[in-house]
Amino acid sequence: MDIAILKPLYIAVSWVIMTIHGWLSPIFNADSGVTWTLSIIGLVILIRTILIPLFVKQIKSQRALTALQPHMKTIQTKYKDDRQKQSEEMMKLYKEHKTNPLASCFPILAQAPIFFALFTVLNGIGKTPPVKYGVLTQVDVVSAAQAKFFGAQISQTFLGSTDGNVKLVTVFLIAFMSITTFTTQRQLMLKGMPKMDSKNNMMLQQQKIMLYLFPVIFAITGVNFPIGVLIYWSTTNLWTWGQQFYVIKRNPTPGSPAYEELQRKRAKKSGVTDSDEPAPPISSIEENQGELKGQRKQPKKKKKKK
Amino acid sequence: MKKFLITLINFYQKWISPMTTPRCKYYPSCSSYTKTAIENYGLKGLTMGLWRLVRCNPWSHGGVDYVKKNGIELKKAGI
Repeated sequence: MDIAILKPLYIAVSWVIMTIHGWLSPIFNADSGVTWTLSIIGLVILIRTILIPLFVKQIKSQRALTALQPHMKTIQTKYKDDRQKQSEEMMKLYKEHKTNPLASCFPILAQAPIFFALFTVLNGIGKTPPVKYGVLTQVDVVSAAQAKFFGAQISQTFLGSTDGNVKLVTVFLIAFMSITTFTTQRQLMLKGMPKMDSKNNMMLQQQKIMLYLFPVIFAITGVNFPIGVLIYWSTTNLWTWGQQFYVIKRNPTPGSPAYEELQRKRAKKSGVTDSDEPAPPISSIEENQGELKGQRKQPKKKKKKK
Repeated sequence: MKKFLITLINFYQKWISPMTTPRCKYYPSCSSYTKTAIENYGLKGLTMGLWRLVRCNPWSHGGVDYVKKNGIELKKAGI
């Protein structure tokens, strides 16, 4: 697992963890599971905070879409039977106006090595005897190896341990990861995205795949991950969800169902009712789908019938 | 090798990509581009795909970008 090219990352990841660990030690005790767990969570907070400007940039370009709405509608009508052409024209439009609401592929790819480095560092801690990576000292690895999260050692994996607590905590974390990923995805698909093309069928299909697939994929991969990595993964998922929830509520993409909803609410507040139906609640799928159907009445949101 | 890489991408497209939000700024998507590139250029295609991934960053404006062979755009149905 010792990959030379990742050495700087091992150092960076372990340094961040140890720095936070150093801050928290006087409060919670150096060997405490709380200190180690919060150190991992601190790493997530640091990484995600660094990524916030990118996120804001993306939100801003989504905002710029308002001006493009008429063009987008023209494209949707013109190529309603040709999805490929539709996507192609849409991308051309974005490029012409130097705005692109999509997040881009690279950042997610760039995060993979960090995740891998964390995995390696924590995995090393779990070995008997513990293996040191980055700036970790012998004392650190020994202390981290015995640190516990809800009674389970953060260095242990589901497969590598016979401890019932480890199994229980792993299963709980994997379930948590599945749920957060799924909710985030569903929320975005139902409420947060402008209708770009007629991929509603695809959307439903994907959601179905996801619903059953998340737990399976996470279960398959998660049983090999130390609990510390699962904590990292769960926290970052939770962050993604929260970030998206905030944007969808407060600053939704123009043209998305959430945007329409916010407009309606604002109109209501100012006493102007442009819609006779009350703003639908957001609690369940059925209601969300009902809401989507409801929006079919609005010409702006009209979907293609397939 | 070619086949192996393509299988990997197919696996990604079928099982992993649906879990993440649509994010690619280009058409066709980075994965689809890389697939076409590998099919036509072999290992060099892999480099082309990686370069495309690097170009698909927060500062780029994306757009339509097909793999080209002898000056002709290789268009394929699908995402």
